[in-house]
Amino acid sequence: MFKKRNLKLVLVMLLMVSLLMSACSSSAPASTESASASETTTESSTSTDTPKEMDKMTIQLKWLPQSQFMGYYMAASKGYYEDEGIDIEILPGGSDIIPEQQVYNGVADVGVTWVSSLLKYQSQGWELKEVAQVFQKSAMLLVSKAETGITSPEDLVGKKVGSWFGGNEYEIYALLEANGIDREKDLELVQQDFTMNQILNDEIDAASAMTYNEYGLLLESGLSDADLNVLDMNDEGVAMLEDCLFVTDEWIAENEDLFVRFLRASIKGWQDACADPEAAGQVVYDADQSVSLEHQVYMAKEIAKLVTPEGFDPAKIGYIDMDAIQQTADLAYKYGLLTEPAVLDDTTITSKYFEEATK
Amino acid sequence: MMNKVKNILWPLLFGIAFLALWQMGYVHKVLDLKPFQLPVPLEIVQTLHANLPKAIKDCGVTLSGAFIGMMIGSAIGFMIAVIATIFPKWGYGGLIIITAFNAMPIVALSPIMNLYFSTGMAQKIGVVTIVCMAAMAMNAYSGLNTLKPYSMDLMHSVAAERWVIFKKLRLPNCMPNVFTAFKINVAASIIAAIISEYFATSTAGLGFGIKDNLRKAEMAMGWSYIVVASLAGVLIYIVILLLERNVIKWHASQR
Repeated sequence: MFKKRNLKLVLVMLLMVSLLMSACSSSAPASTESASASETTTESSTSTDTPKEMDKMTIQLKWLPQSQFMGYYMAASKGYYEDEGIDIEILPGGSDIIPEQQVYNGVADVGVTWVSSLLKYQSQGWELKEVAQVFQKSAMLLVSKAETGITSPEDLVGKKVGSWFGGNEYEIYALLEANGIDREKDLELVQQDFTMNQILNDEIDAASAMTYNEYGLLLESGLSDADLNVLDMNDEGVAMLEDCLFVTDEWIAENEDLFVRFLRASIKGWQDACADPEAAGQVVYDADQSVSLEHQVYMAKEIAKLVTPEGFDPAKIGYIDMDAIQQTADLAYKYGLLTEPAVLDDTTITSKYFEEATK
Repeated sequence: MMNKVKNILWPLLFGIAFLALWQMGYVHKVLDLKPFQLPVPLEIVQTLHANLPKAIKDCGVTLSGAFIGMMIGSAIGFMIAVIATIFPKWGYGGLIIITAFNAMPIVALSPIMNLYFSTGMAQKIGVVTIVCMAAMAMNAYSGLNTLKPYSMDLMHSVAAERWVIFKKLRLPNCMPNVFTAFKINVAASIIAAIISEYFATSTAGLGFGIKDNLRKAEMAMGWSYIVVASLAGVLIYIVILLLERNVIKWHASQR
């Protein structure tokens, strides 16, 4: 009897909670329409003054809100998008959110993705176009503990090597094949999760790591640079380009001016962020507290090295280096991501809007 | 007889019509999709045909993991139900803990299992085991304890010992529930195995194939894995149904 009454109580409470929630949600739509965008992104703006005619725009990130995308968060918090008359919404990514599909389906207007991945989608017939190249270098590393003794690609033979797959494996394929290692027979490639536990627990010998994220996780877990061996894709000559901006042909045809304004504001955001990564890390942390402030700042510093490598003019952030794109495309074709050479012309990649924005 | 034919014919016709509409692009029109987003059936079949050996191998990996995990999980669940029946006072607590385990999402469980097991197969079995425990424990417990009133009286009237009651009364009485649990667990174990492969330290299995190919825009390949996964699920379900028919012939549901 006692139990039954308890159960009833729980049920009643559940009912009340759900009633409350539905009451909230039914009253919500009217207010969210106007408030959602300004609430989520442009915290700096005071919501009281009614803005002039603002163009709504959505950007889909490739991954969780983190300093990897600090330029956009910086531009949003400093009001650069507002200055250009853009009401920006920044959509975070996740393990099964695929920017190419989000943008193609119209969930977002602009997307951030890796060039190699975009090339694959383009080759399958998706009408997507690269419009800016944010990262000038590859951030992909293959890290291993020093005691494992992996100092050159040849040392990977007979080892267990981690990759995230899903399109992130091709630099590793290229690294292996360029060094005459058969990825089927000479070693074991396994899927890595999004932690670094597998390498910390010695379940795998070498792990994929981005300079700005997973390598930092290893350092935060108590290892030092001296404890780790690193194979850098840039040094091994198998670098593929990563974060770029892309749009659909259909959308850009109608929103050329809007996109140029967006790009101008974003470049400004990136310039500020790269000039002061500490502040950028703080801005990203304020927008989303999913990881610690220290990690966001660490990441911001590493990202700055990719967006503005040594000797790179910050005014040119977003510049599309066609030689690097060509190398990415060549590697993608040579190592099996693409079944035929990538088409690199105005239909798939264009610097037009970048030039317009940096004029 | 006529009815039986009709019962098979209608769903079959409906299925064929649906596939035909899909193939001819009407489904794409309704859903506003392009063929490179949702491949047509013929393309999926062709892709599957071209990659059959690999797909079957991956299917074997997933199914064997799901099966072993389901068996271990069901066995543990059953044991807990038995303990809860024999020692009702504290055994029932075990049931509650198991149910709490069941509430854990597979996406959270899979990375955790990676900490304890270093191979993809062991991780998969670990995840499936936990997922399958609760359904069996709860069902078996209810089967072991929901006895017809007079049957217990009868056992008492002949002064049957506890063990005899258990063997002759409780155990047969719980068989239909055990099969219900198995049927739930078949579906659950395959789902759990596939999702665990999303996070596994391995590149084998249907789950990895679905995730990896859909991410890489290899839609036809991804879909052929989905087809294999659902075929495997149906197949195992049928096996369990046949088994049930033979084991509990006496039960009302089978007459």
